Amino acid sequence: MATGPIEDRSVFFLRDLVNEAIAGITSRPSRTALTALGTVLGVAALVATLGLARTAGNRIVSRFDELSATEVVVTPANQGGFGFGGSSRTSPIPWDAQDRLERLNGVAAAGTKSDVDLNGALVRAVPVVDPTGATAFSIPVVATSGGLFDAVRAELATGTVFDAAHNDLGASVAVLGPAAAQRLSITRVDNQPAIFVGDTPIVVVGILADVQREPDLLNSIIITDGFAQERFDLSAPAAVHVDTDIGGAQLIGDQAALALVPNNPELVRVRVPPDPASLRERVGEDINALFLLLGGISLLVGAIGIANVTLVSVLERTAEIGLRRSLGATKTHIATLFLTESAILGFIAGVVGTSIGVLTVVGVSAVNTWEPVLQPWLPITTPLLGLAIGVVSGAYPAWRAAAIEPITALRAGG
Amino acid sequence: MTLAMRVGGDAATPPPPVVALRGVGRTFDGPPEVEVLRGIDLAVAGGDYLSIVGPSGSGKSTLLHLLGLLDRPSLGTYHLDGIDTGALDDRDRTALRGSRIGFVFQAFHLLSTRTAHENVMLAELYRGTDRLERSERATAALERVGLGHRMDAFPDTLSGGERQRVAIARALVGRPSLLLADEPTGNLDTENSESILELFDELHDAGLTLVVITHDETVSSRAGRLIRIVDGQIAGAL
Repeated sequence: MATGPIEDRSVFFLRDLVNEAIAGITSRPSRTALTALGTVLGVAALVATLGLARTAGNRIVSRFDELSATEVVVTPANQGGFGFGGSSRTSPIPWDAQDRLERLNGVAAAGTKSDVDLNGALVRAVPVVDPTGATAFSIPVVATSGGLFDAVRAELATGTVFDAAHNDLGASVAVLGPAAAQRLSITRVDNQPAIFVGDTPIVVVGILADVQREPDLLNSIIITDGFAQERFDLSAPAAVHVDTDIGGAQLIGDQAALALVPNNPELVRVRVPPDPASLRERVGEDINALFLLLGGISLLVGAIGIANVTLVSVLERTAEIGLRRSLGATKTHIATLFLTESAILGFIAGVVGTSIGVLTVVGVSAVNTWEPVLQPWLPITTPLLGLAIGVVSGAYPAWRAAAIEPITALRAGG
Repeated sequence: MTLAMRVGGDAATPPPPVVALRGVGRTFDGPPEVEVLRGIDLAVAGGDYLSIVGPSGSGKSTLLHLLGLLDRPSLGTYHLDGIDTGALDDRDRTALRGSRIGFVFQAFHLLSTRTAHENVMLAELYRGTDRLERSERATAALERVGLGHRMDAFPDTLSGGERQRVAIARALVGRPSLLLADEPTGNLDTENSESILELFDELHDAGLTLVVITHDETVSSRAGRLIRIVDGQIAGAL
């Protein structure tokens, strides 16, 4: 009979703890909802901010991806040091740049592009000088190996483009940009119209409709490298434009210089698009900073809200605390109960807030016909953030509850 | 049918008294220092029905707190079921309180958002009883106090007497050595008071040890023993 009380040591099973805590939260549903509101809004703001930033960033990057991420441009390293006229240094880019680059795995198309110095010569569509109208124009002439048309994704309006064979032969053929063709009043090529660059006749074989890169081509006369070399003293290609397969730009960027100038790769400069991953990060950072701050502030307000209401609730439930103590609850049991209540409240607020945030991202994306993108860790982390807020803000009220003496508590409400 | 009451002991040795106070005093730290109780010697044997009376401020509430292990004496010793409570730390005192003392309060202290049955189940919450058994014991205790038909009623829908019965069921469910009642009829009308007192009589007849603190003569007259506290001392026993 004279057994020690150790066998009767108070216990509080986890399941009972959770049941009691949920009963405590649900006994005043409207107050609970208002208590959680701050945290709900904070978490929702946080999720929506991060999600929208990611969505917008993804959108910017994907637009960027479509065209620019496959463009590599090689130019001489000392810009301006080479150039027009025989006196300047020669560009290190070899004439067979197109062949060298097209051998690389990942190159879809490559072609040289050089401005041709006409020494002031004008371009005419007919050999006869018509005194009644302006028939001679100053139109830029660009020399290329045939691959440039594919590399800039040119579309033909009519005729044909020249190819490597024309280039090798140094054929006197030209393709006109649409603006250049309009100025020269050439609309069709089936009758093989000729133009005169200075006194040099060139047959027009095609007219472009559009290009997706290098829009200056639209107002240019495009001739072969071979012809430019022969008749206009072009000493070397001024640049090489490469269209790579998707995702190949970084790799080609690394290999192009060595492929073009194996002995001296540092003589050329290779321009590649920025790495999409780092670009996405930069975009994200810009948008995030302000809204993350706002989200953080509302979380803080939410935490204070939970702390405040829990503290009020502790004072209101003084009699209940006394009763529980009289039924064998220890101080730890009391503290744990209140802490669990605020933790569950915080967690629910986190889940609700996360849902609202995700719905916001989806809604905004739907309205703008964007593709909603969310960091995968986000919907897992933010409910835990709510839980943490609940624990932190419940700590002080729980400590206060535990400190209440059962005698005082039982007198309350008496 | 009746709850098995813990009266303890085997046949060979007489059981220790449920309550044994020896030279108990309680002084509240000042300033000014107040001596609320002094020189209290009190033994309550198993099955006793004791009432403690006295004017307000006499120290009878303090005595109740000491008996309920809600407070510690400044002087003297308190043995509960033969256990020296002065030697126990807070945790053990809490456990002992939870397992051997049933409280009945003037204000009932029922949780308004729980049903009668759930309120009674709370009694075993901290004692490691599994949930199913807790539920069965709560049902039995409510039937014992005559509320088998109001199990799922919320306290707001119960009369004062019914609420106090729920509170008594809650105190009984843990099979305590001692039922401590503090002005159990203070919030009740005559009719309800009478029904509670009849219930106490029944529990006493079944062997439960009862200590009732009151200033109401009709309550104290029902007890088998009565002690009067005046100015912190036992002024007389009847």
